[in-house]
Amino acid sequence: METLSLLAQGFSVALTPLNIALLLIGCFSGTLIGAMPGLGPVNGVAILIPLTFAFGFDATSSLILLSAVYFGAMYGGRISSILLNIPGDEPAVMTTLDGYPMAQQGRAADALAISGVASFIGSTFAVIGLTLFAPMLARMAIYFGPADYFALYVLAFITIGGIAGVDPRKTLISALLGLMIATMGLDPISGIPRFTFENYHLYDGVDPIVALVGLFAISEILLLLETAARDRAKPIGIDSWLPDLRAIWATRWTVLRGSFVGFVAGVLPGAGASLGSVMAYSMEKQVSDKDGTFGKGDPRGVAAPEAGNNAASGGALIPMLSLGVPGSGTTAVMLAMLITLNVQPGPLLFERQPELVWGLVASLYLANFALLILNLPMIGLFSRLMMVPTWALLPIVAAVSFVGVFSISNSIFDLQLMVLFGVLGYLLRKLDVSLVPLVLGLLLGGDMERNLRRAISISNGDWGVLVASPISVTLYVMTALFLALSVWLALRDHKRVKRRELLD
Amino acid sequence: MSVRLAGVAIFMIAALYTWYGRDYTASFGDVLGPAVFPVILGIPTMILSASLVVFPSGQVAWPDREHGLRQLAALAVLLGYALLLRPLGFPLATFGLIAGIGVILGGAPRKAMILGAVFSPALWALFDQVLGLPLAFLGNWFT
Repeated sequence: METLSLLAQGFSVALTPLNIALLLIGCFSGTLIGAMPGLGPVNGVAILIPLTFAFGFDATSSLILLSAVYFGAMYGGRISSILLNIPGDEPAVMTTLDGYPMAQQGRAADALAISGVASFIGSTFAVIGLTLFAPMLARMAIYFGPADYFALYVLAFITIGGIAGVDPRKTLISALLGLMIATMGLDPISGIPRFTFENYHLYDGVDPIVALVGLFAISEILLLLETAARDRAKPIGIDSWLPDLRAIWATRWTVLRGSFVGFVAGVLPGAGASLGSVMAYSMEKQVSDKDGTFGKGDPRGVAAPEAGNNAASGGALIPMLSLGVPGSGTTAVMLAMLITLNVQPGPLLFERQPELVWGLVASLYLANFALLILNLPMIGLFSRLMMVPTWALLPIVAAVSFVGVFSISNSIFDLQLMVLFGVLGYLLRKLDVSLVPLVLGLLLGGDMERNLRRAISISNGDWGVLVASPISVTLYVMTALFLALSVWLALRDHKRVKRRELLD
Repeated sequence: MSVRLAGVAIFMIAALYTWYGRDYTASFGDVLGPAVFPVILGIPTMILSASLVVFPSGQVAWPDREHGLRQLAALAVLLGYALLLRPLGFPLATFGLIAGIGVILGGAPRKAMILGAVFSPALWALFDQVLGLPLAFLGNWFT
C-alpha cells in the first residue's frame, strides 16, 4: 500500500510538463540512436550525459531523460537487427538470428511488431519488478556496514561480465585498471596527491564522464573506421503497415517466459541485458523449438530475446538504484551521471530523495507506453532515418562528444584525456576486454577504498573485520561460487576449442 | 602475439603503479593509510597480466594498412581539434572536425564540407546562444 502511494507521488513528479516533454524527446531520440547501426544504448547515453549537464536540469529530470533514452535505445536496437542484420549493440545480437530471416521472407512488419510488443511487455514486467523489489532491497541494504559494502563491491567486480564467455582474467584486469585509474588524484582521506605526475589537472582525479565519453564514443569511431569505406548493407523494405495481430498473440507465452528470465538476469549484479537476451533465447529454443524452425525466421525467436533484453535493462536499474552497484554498462553510465549530480544511489536514496526514485519509476511506466506508440505506427520513419550514412553520422557524434565534455570543465586537458581514453577503449575492445568493468572500477573505486579504510579504522587495524558479519561472509561465498563457475566455463570453452582444432 | 604484448604492457604499468603506490604515507589518524589499496590492486594486476603473457587467449585481427592509416588520420584530427579549439574558435575548429572525420570515413569531400558548414554554426548557435554555454565564436588567433 505504501508503495502505491509513493508511486502516485512519483506520477505527480513525472507528469509535470517539463518531464513529459523530456520523456518524449528521450524516447524518440533513444529509438533513433538504437536504430542507427553502430550506436547502442551505452554510446547514446554516454554522449548525451554531458549535454544534460549543459541543459542544467535537476537530477530527477536528467535521470528521466536518460532513462527514456536508455529504454528507447533498447527498443530501437531491434530495428537495425531485423532490417539490416546489424545489431546496434550486444543485447540485440540474438534478435538478428530470427529477425533478419523473417524480414528476408517478407515478414518484416510482423517481426517489428512482434518484437515491439515483446519489448513493451518485457520492460513493463521489469518496471513492475522494480516497483516491488527495489524498495525491499534498499531496506535490506540499510544494514550494510563498511565491510559489507567492500564485500559487495568485490562481488560486483568479480561477477560483472563474468559469465559472458570471455576470458575471466581479462574482465578482472579491466576492473582493476578502472580501480587504478580511480585512485588517481588527491586521496580523499589523507589529502595527499597520488599518481598525479605533478600535473595539477589530475589533482581532482579523472572525471568519469570524460573517461566514459572517450571509452564509448571515441573508441566507436575508431572501431568503425576499420570497416568504413566498404559497402554498407541495404535495409530490407517494410512490406505492410498493419502487422498480423494473431501472430503477436501467438507469442504471448514466449514473451512472458522471456520477460521473466530476462528480468532475473538483469537483477544479478554484472549480468545485464546481453545475458538476458541470450538466456531468454536459448531457453525458448529448448522449450519450443520442436520443428527446428529457430534461426530460420521463427516469430518466437524474435519475441523471446526482445522481451528478455528489455526486461533485463529494467531489472538492471534495481541494483543500481538500491545498492549503488550497476548491473550493466548503460546503468554504469547512468550512475556516473548521478554521482556527478551529487546524488549517491544506494539505500539512503529511497529515504532522502523519494521524489527522484519514484518520479523515475513512474516515468518508466509512461515511457513504455510512449515507446509502444512510437514504435508501432512510426516504424517507417525510423527505418528511413536509419539510412543516414556513417560518414555523416559519426562526425556529428564526435563534435557533440567534444562539446559535451568541454561544457563540463571548460578544459582542453579533458578533451585530450577523452581522446586518450578513446584509444585505450579501442585497444581494449580489440583485445576482447570488456569496458564495463573498467567503468565500474572507475566509478566505484573511491567508495570501495573509503569503505575498506573505514572498516579497518573501526576495527583498529584488524583485517578480520572484513569477514566478521554474516552479510559480508554471504557475499564472499557468492563471489567464490561465481568465480569458480566462470573459471569452469572458460576452461570448458578452452577445451572445446582445442578439441575442434584437433579435429580440423 | 597482441595479447602477449598487451599483457607485458599492463604488467609494466601495474608494476610501476605498485612501486609508486607503496610509498604514499599519511601522518596520523588513518589506520590503513593511502598506500595499501594501490598495492591491493597492483599485485593481482601483475599476476593476471603475467598469466596473459604466459597463457594468452583470443586472437586479434588488426585492420589492414589502409584502414590503420585512416584511424591514425582520425586520431590526428581529434587531437588537432583539442589543440586548435581555443586558437580557432568553436565554429571553425568544428568545421574542420566534421569535414575531416567525414572524409576519413569515406564521405565525398564536397558533401563532408557541406555537412561541416551546416552543422558547425548550428551547434555553436545551439550551445552558445540557446543553452548559454560560452563557446568562443572566433579564437584567440583572430582577436
